[in-house]
Amino acid sequence: MKHHAIKLTVNGEERELTVPSNRTLLDALRDDLGYTDTKYGCGTGECGACTVLVDGVTSINGCLTLAATMDGRSITTVAGLARDGNLHPVQQAFIDHDAVQCGFCTPGMVLKTISLLADNPAPNETEIRHGLEGNICRCTGYSKIVEAVQDASDRMQGTGE
Amino acid sequence: MTSRVMRDFDLLLPESVTEVVTLLARHKDKSAILAGGTDLLVALKFDYAIDNVISLALVPGLGTLRFDPQDGLVIGAKVTVAEILKSAEVKANYPALWQAAQVFATPQLRNTATVLGNIMRASPAGDCSLAILALGGTVLLQSTAGQREVDLDNFWLSYAVTARQDDELAIAVKIPAPPSGQKSAFRRMTRTTEDLSKLGAAVSLHMAGNVCQQARVAMGCVGPTLVRLPAIEKILAGAKVTTELLQDIVGSVAAEINPIDDQRSSADYRLKVAGVLVRRVIEQALDNEGNVQ
Repeated sequence: MKHHAIKLTVNGEERELTVPSNRTLLDALRDDLGYTDTKYGCGTGECGACTVLVDGVTSINGCLTLAATMDGRSITTVAGLARDGNLHPVQQAFIDHDAVQCGFCTPGMVLKTISLLADNPAPNETEIRHGLEGNICRCTGYSKIVEAVQDASDRMQGTGE
Repeated sequence: MTSRVMRDFDLLLPESVTEVVTLLARHKDKSAILAGGTDLLVALKFDYAIDNVISLALVPGLGTLRFDPQDGLVIGAKVTVAEILKSAEVKANYPALWQAAQVFATPQLRNTATVLGNIMRASPAGDCSLAILALGGTVLLQSTAGQREVDLDNFWLSYAVTARQDDELAIAVKIPAPPSGQKSAFRRMTRTTEDLSKLGAAVSLHMAGNVCQQARVAMGCVGPTLVRLPAIEKILAGAKVTTELLQDIVGSVAAEINPIDDQRSSADYRLKVAGVLVRRVIEQALDNEGNVQ
């Protein structure tokens, strides 16, 4: 099988690695580069645990992306959100609203929320629920997550972030 | 390394369409094209094996989404479903396609999956594919021998089989410019919103007042491929769209389709509700708000 030398900018840091053709972006992040904050759930693009942001705020499934096709791209994982020791407002809102139980879906949920709020800074509940499709939580029943997203939207508009 | 590991293959990263068709001519059925990859990579994690995966990632010129009031819409091979959703021209001129994009899979998959990939998958549950069938789309294929066009009426040969030859690259799908008075809509039924369709319907109606001059009516999940319903199109052609006509249509759809039992629904249920779904998608097309309920 062919191998490919690629460069990825992950959370602002440039990383060089060599990957076989069939390596997913998710496996490259977790196993080659140590970003285990990105989770493996279903492996087939349905659960959203592997969500990362590409070149800004576009959400994609890391499990359905070949690492070798991402040469030169910029990836944000949940570990890259805090600034100067302060959590991102979306992370803080998830904590404040107890929107985290087992926590496995949380990295994907947080990144997906950032993507959603970039597109629609003040979504209503229906828009939040439609926007979070593709991220499955088996603990919370989603109510706390929806509240956290609404609160994050208020905070980010308030602070102009 | 996670479970569901993909089989070994060589990823090829050509940098032009010429290079892609040269690779296709060499590898033919030992190769698969990777655009968004949301179908191909899942298949490679299960029972599908292929020696060469030819990625379009570095190929320029395939990302065109262009509307012209005379020539219609061109959707390049790398145009994602999310880009369709962002296009005000698609929303205004091809509501059926916009509505299909709106409910297509999930945001992450819409950001990655391509419209043309949905067509090449040749699934009877393809949402964008169904809308484009109703809108009268044509697939543009290129090989080292040149280009040809195949309209969607003749493109899906059976489940997961298309008219594309092994050495051809699908470079775009074209949709004709909407004549004035064209109304279109897409509608589907699912268990949950991110599920695949259990039943889908799309229409494109050429209206003059409340008279339908010409119609294209298409359904999904009622046979091995997406299908048109010629008998329903005939009922609509030249007719005033009245409550009675719609009732006539509701009663005529079941005889036109051939659904099966599968994990998403039963043949019996699909036969019972298909007529109502067609009526509702016609009503949706004629409602200027174009609301998807």
